[in-house]
Amino acid sequence: MIVLVRGRQVQREENLKIVDRLRALRETQIGAFIPVLLALVAIWGYFGLVIPLQDLLTGETENFRAIFLSPRNIYNLFMQSAVIATLAVGITIVLLLGEIDLSAAATAGVCAALLGVLVLTGIPSILACLIVILVGIAMGLVQGLLVAYVGIPSFVVTLAGLLGYQGLMQKILPTGNLNVGDPFIRGIARTLIPDLWGILIALAVFGLFAFFSFRKQYQRRSRNLEVDGFWVIWVQILVFGFIVISVVLTLNAYRSLPLLLVLLLGSTMLLDWVTRSTPYGRSLFAVGGNAESARRVGIKVNQIRVSAFAIVGLMAAIGGIFGASRYGSVSYTAFAGGSLLLEAIGAAVIGGTSLFGGRGSVWNAILGALVIGSLGNGLDLSGASAADKLMVSGAILILAVAIDALSRSSSGRT
Amino acid sequence: MTSKEVLVGQSAPSAHLVVRGVEKRFGGVHALRGADFEVSRGEVMALVGDNGAGKSTLMKILAGAYTFDSGNFYLNGKNVSIKSPNDAAALGIQIVYQDLALCENLDVAANLSLGSEPVKSGWSFLPKFIRPIDSLEMEAKAKKAIEQLQVRTLQSVRAKVGGLSGGQRQAIAIARAVGTQSTVVMLDEPTAALGVAQTKQVLEVVKRLRDTNHAVVYISHNMRDIFEVSDRITVLRHGDNVATYKTSDTSPDEIVIAMTSGLDDRSSSGSSSAT
Repeated sequence: MIVLVRGRQVQREENLKIVDRLRALRETQIGAFIPVLLALVAIWGYFGLVIPLQDLLTGETENFRAIFLSPRNIYNLFMQSAVIATLAVGITIVLLLGEIDLSAAATAGVCAALLGVLVLTGIPSILACLIVILVGIAMGLVQGLLVAYVGIPSFVVTLAGLLGYQGLMQKILPTGNLNVGDPFIRGIARTLIPDLWGILIALAVFGLFAFFSFRKQYQRRSRNLEVDGFWVIWVQILVFGFIVISVVLTLNAYRSLPLLLVLLLGSTMLLDWVTRSTPYGRSLFAVGGNAESARRVGIKVNQIRVSAFAIVGLMAAIGGIFGASRYGSVSYTAFAGGSLLLEAIGAAVIGGTSLFGGRGSVWNAILGALVIGSLGNGLDLSGASAADKLMVSGAILILAVAIDALSRSSSGRT
Repeated sequence: MTSKEVLVGQSAPSAHLVVRGVEKRFGGVHALRGADFEVSRGEVMALVGDNGAGKSTLMKILAGAYTFDSGNFYLNGKNVSIKSPNDAAALGIQIVYQDLALCENLDVAANLSLGSEPVKSGWSFLPKFIRPIDSLEMEAKAKKAIEQLQVRTLQSVRAKVGGLSGGQRQAIAIARAVGTQSTVVMLDEPTAALGVAQTKQVLEVVKRLRDTNHAVVYISHNMRDIFEVSDRITVLRHGDNVATYKTSDTSPDEIVIAMTSGLDDRSSSGSSSAT
């Protein structure tokens, strides 16, 4: 059957120009990654290739800076970006509605601090994790209720939340710092999936992706619906496969696939499925696109709003747990008081999720977090000052929002 | 016996949707003063009137967005009470508002199924709002709805609504109203913002609705469109009926006069063309 499909499709595709093909690709899920992937490639290319080359040319052998693309640094990069990514995934959900959440990092801080205290008092660590997840959801829920039913703009509600939760974190941690030595919690970041298993997981994910792509194509054809170009499907599958497998191989070359990344990617996959393939997710996009339209077709707009903030709370709590696990400690500056919030929002937006609502994806948030993480990491490695880091991050953020605004105005005219 | 009752009561097939003596006040404003209205299936009933005549109020009452202060509402011969848009939708009454209310960030198929997406079977252990959408079924439904209305210029149901023309959007808004088992479709100024070609396209869609045995209420200011598409015309003035005309027996001038000065000035002439 597939052979037959191929024959027909290729014939039709020969008439298409390259531009048309690229346009078709841009409309797909992988296509939405293209801008942020290009940004990532540019950043990695700069720090990984251009800077070492410069060193070579200028004869700087003393401090030869070719470590950026080393497996060890890539591993660290992923781990550094994981907490940002977790929060960014949550923030993406409210951004889809055209709302914002400024309190995510503070929520994560409160949850992490609470986790540390609970574990110290002897509560089983799994139970403590569940408790802080519920607390995180409740913290998001309260803000969502204020936004949806009291009608306060989310910017104001979550700004108040940011301040209030920062204070709450200081109350929970009067010293501002607490070590978390619990083996279960530390294990989330420390546990490594054996090399072979990592590869098997990657191959399985790749195989499933290819299988579902082709199955969908086959079903479309048999139901006489329009089909994607054969070329588009293959490019998607190959790009996806290349990314998944090369990531796992790179991580294996240093240590292995960490459990924390599996958990992060797993929850992102779940949220991606919920947002793109369920009536609930569809209503998120609908409310973000045109709340009045959503209301008229019977979508309970207020409940959707509240639930989105609850999801941010959930992801913030998970981010808090991840952070406590990775750092082995909970500190005020690592969460509520630091740059985590802005990095997370920046990651979501750089990933391509529109601040205007209705457009975006949680996977883009992961890529956006990698962009932010890579910038920080690369600038650190090349000896840039904190001031440079801030300025470059600001420029990248503006660039991302500009791309969003421009693509928004052009997509309305196609 | 006023001339009004004579004029309204004589429609040919038994009307599908009938309201009688509808009154509606907004504070001191008496928006509707005992208006009557009816529409049959397989008929396009134009509803016209000058600004402030009560067209929108009447339409919103029919759609359940407002409730009337007094009056009777019959659907298919039965007295019904409509308290909310959901009641109206459940009875098969759909309205296409002027602003369309489509989600531009979603594709045509998603817009058509919005709020009632078909879900895959076999996931009943999950609550309904989190079961996987059967996107192929959704596309097939959308394709069918679009084909039924013969929207020829639309190439793909997977196109984002944001990229479509005004006429195509109007057609999709209509298709959404029709798709939900509706019997009465109300269109509020569907051609107001459209060019000539797109207006033609929308009017074709309206005719298709009549052919598929829908009761169509068509609100417009554009006499040319009304005379092209409607079977009868109800004229409102100052919250009350002037008359209901058979489109083939009247002229735009007569309608305009009825809209602006009512029948009072001319009632001596016997209002000849009223049916």
